Amino acid sequence: MMTGKESQNPVIVAGGGVAGLTAALDLAAAGRYVELVESAEHLGGRVSELDKIYPGDHCAFCPLWTDIRRVEDHENIRVRLTSRITAVERKPDSIRVTITTEPRYIDESLCVFCGRCREACAADAVRPSWEHASPPSFFIDKTGCTKCGDCVDQCPTGAIDIERPPVEIVLSADDIIWATGFEEVDLTPLPEFGYGTHPDIMTSLEFENWIAEAGVNQGRILRRSNGKEPRNIAFIQCAGARDRRLLPYCSGVCCMHALKQAQWIKRRAPEVGCTIFYTDLRTVGRDYFDYGLRSLRMTTGVDLVRGRPGMIRPLPGGDALALKYENTETQAVEIARFDVVILNGNLAPSQLLPGSEADSPVDLDSQGFVSAGRDGAAPFACGFSREPADIAESVLRASSSAVTLAGRKDGPEP
Amino acid sequence: MKNITVFLCTCFDEINRVVDYERLCSHLSDDPRVAAVTVSRGLCVSGGAGEIGASVKSGDGRVLIAACSPLARGDQVMRDLERAGVPAFRRHLVDLREGCAWIHGNNPAAATEKALDLLNMGLTALEYKEPSADVTLKIADEVLVIGAGPAGMAAATALARCGVDVRVLERGAQPGGMLGLVSRSYPDNTDPSEKIAAFRDLAASDPRITFHSKVKIISARGYAGNFTVRFTAEGEELQAHAGAVIIATGGRVFPPKGYYRYGEVREVVSQIELEARFRKGPVKKENAVFIQCVGARCEERPYCSTICCPASIKNAMRIMDENENARVWILHRDIMMPGTTLEAYYKKAMERGVRFIRYAESDPPRILGDEAVETVEVRDDITGDRRTIPADLVVLSTPLIAGTDAEAIGDLFGIQRDSYGFFREIYPLHPVETRIDGVYICGSARWPVSSEQAMVQGEAAAMKAAALVGRQTIRASEFSRVPGAKFGHARVNEDTCSGCGNCAAVCSFDAIRLQRRSGEGEFRMVSRVIKVRCKACGNCLSVCPNGSMQMPEMNTKALYGMVGKAFS
Repeated sequence: MMTGKESQNPVIVAGGGVAGLTAALDLAAAGRYVELVESAEHLGGRVSELDKIYPGDHCAFCPLWTDIRRVEDHENIRVRLTSRITAVERKPDSIRVTITTEPRYIDESLCVFCGRCREACAADAVRPSWEHASPPSFFIDKTGCTKCGDCVDQCPTGAIDIERPPVEIVLSADDIIWATGFEEVDLTPLPEFGYGTHPDIMTSLEFENWIAEAGVNQGRILRRSNGKEPRNIAFIQCAGARDRRLLPYCSGVCCMHALKQAQWIKRRAPEVGCTIFYTDLRTVGRDYFDYGLRSLRMTTGVDLVRGRPGMIRPLPGGDALALKYENTETQAVEIARFDVVILNGNLAPSQLLPGSEADSPVDLDSQGFVSAGRDGAAPFACGFSREPADIAESVLRASSSAVTLAGRKDGPEP
Repeated sequence: MKNITVFLCTCFDEINRVVDYERLCSHLSDDPRVAAVTVSRGLCVSGGAGEIGASVKSGDGRVLIAACSPLARGDQVMRDLERAGVPAFRRHLVDLREGCAWIHGNNPAAATEKALDLLNMGLTALEYKEPSADVTLKIADEVLVIGAGPAGMAAATALARCGVDVRVLERGAQPGGMLGLVSRSYPDNTDPSEKIAAFRDLAASDPRITFHSKVKIISARGYAGNFTVRFTAEGEELQAHAGAVIIATGGRVFPPKGYYRYGEVREVVSQIELEARFRKGPVKKENAVFIQCVGARCEERPYCSTICCPASIKNAMRIMDENENARVWILHRDIMMPGTTLEAYYKKAMERGVRFIRYAESDPPRILGDEAVETVEVRDDITGDRRTIPADLVVLSTPLIAGTDAEAIGDLFGIQRDSYGFFREIYPLHPVETRIDGVYICGSARWPVSSEQAMVQGEAAAMKAAALVGRQTIRASEFSRVPGAKFGHARVNEDTCSGCGNCAAVCSFDAIRLQRRSGEGEFRMVSRVIKVRCKACGNCLSVCPNGSMQMPEMNTKALYGMVGKAFS
């Protein structure tokens, strides 16, 4: 519409998190047709997993849900859930994209969320989608399903088809905007953090889920090992990040994430001690410094210790964790006892396509971030696919990618 | 009047196995307002919204839907009705599944009573609901970009590429903004004057870009799609009519007066003064010391200015480029280099031999020397040692602060500013959008950012503006963010409005103006609602002392009627 160029081919947006949603909405608003491909059962991405977002302390639900509904309602956007791009082939005037849709077995357009299938399932393979999905529906976890068919008999709307095969389609597309987000990297190769040796050593996303107000513990701060309230919690920053052995870069979002979680712990359970072990506290966005450091220091009294622990081990008996560290401000080497340890920093970009990097349709840097488009052109990538980014940065880059694509005069380059 | 059709959804027996539908039907049939009652098995999956729509479209028909929660599929049914041509004032949703059958499953009698109450409330609401008058607006096809720094230049370039006419207003004589004050960009180490020259060439050659320099803005009025901005450019008075406005007025550098003997001893300079020296020629120094967080992350300005760490690292390496024997120290409180590119840039500086010393806010460095700086004394926060560093140059890294015209621009366009004077977005998920639709913010006017980030933001703002002005017309109701919104916009009864201004004071979207109403024999102030700006939040009607302000789709008659039914 605005380019004056009639394009029959859709733009494919890979990933339905905040970056992908924004890119899709922007392009659709500009009159382009968008295929939004999301691997999960619902839209919303990582932000939908967060209990609270900084610096406003909102749950992200309302604005995120509003954008999701705008995407679902938009006549120019088609959403493909439980789908992945599995191959990309360049043609002279377009690209051919293969999209594989895994069956969720329960048709979300027919599911009325009554839950009879879940009650009927002896294998406990029927799961509700994200609670805030619109509309909410169930899906069947392929790995647990025994294909007994009891759920099919119980479904009042005939929404379930357990024999449904994966569907593969091939589309001609104008281009792809990559917004596939991040994955957590396994921390067991770094033995000093003791990840996997004790249930109270968690990654910060596991912990976010664990203490979520809408989650299993309804916002209570508990230990995973014994269900009791911890006496104190340690946050280990740059766990796996800024570390040559695993991720050499700074993950960008972890400092604020820890400050946010510490603040919420203090609000919900003021007697639980919090200590943040950090290298540099990177609080660069609007209100971040104010939100994090200043309010922590002045009101809630969270300890900030500069240093990266060299050893975290369960104490004999498994009742608590020992943490050995050097406080680089006092140069004292100390061993402290903590009930819970949160590891923060193990975020890496998701793989764009299955298969080897050689098949990648865009250039990736050594860490898997999209570094360049074809022929060195600016890549259409946003969010964590492009560089470590928080919500605002992801969304900004998404709109920037969208306008660059919308303004491209000569169509896709050969 | 018998004009309400009721649709009772059983949700495949999920509701009627608890709630007594026969009782509901007989009660509804006796109600004089009800024209018909239909029981359906699954309204959401039957695709019956079109038929329902057709049945109530004619005359003054209204429809009451009793089904599941709007958070389940109820809202979807409402949206389907909207599409089928049933506007918000003609429809009402009552939740009988989650709200009655499921939560009161162990007490069917009470669940049925509650369902009856909810249905009665719904009927009463439908009796009184009225429509908001929607308006269709023409969209002016030009975008106004205020400020030609990196954000404004990127916005204008992106818009022109998308085929949008763009008018750029720059207060200075030349484009460039802050980019024109620095010697090199980080981390690519390019000369920013190339970017400025490229924009100047584009503005001169592309007929879509109109560039005005030495601009002073006189006034701005209007709303999304139709802004009228009067300004002078090089003394000549002009007027622009724009569909959208992008504000990219930038920030300014905080001068380090009163810090670290700045102005007292020679060779203690601000970062921006060092940039000016680089622009003039080589800066040959033996021992240069950069001090970070000067007037930042402190009580008066409790924020990190984002750009000072990379700027110091860039200039530290530049000094080493120009004198290979130079020694450079950066005294910092935290090195703020998040992400991949900046972290790699930081590592490169360490490998080049830039020395980083961490100091504590409570024990800042001291500048020693009589006429010119001779040494800097600092306590290394990591080793605990007190060190004396020789220095023939000290560079003070100060933060960006809000521009001098930020307050005036904010007031002109009705956009909010944060406690430091930067323009505030409506929500982190919508970082370039403001509370005024059609007005977008980007660059350091919004929050301190690097030139690279400012350009990304300028492009993001351009995207929003291009999508808006790409349309010929738009309905005011489309600016509401939720599809199928339940409400239109507020409406004033000008006959009873006393002009107290309460509503205008509480409006979060600057959508209410007090204006003179002069009719026969009267001359008084009344409130007027700018429909394009109104988001139907309802703040205004909650403070209206005499009920003159109404949300037609849920007016006070409907609300009081519902409350009355609930407690009758």
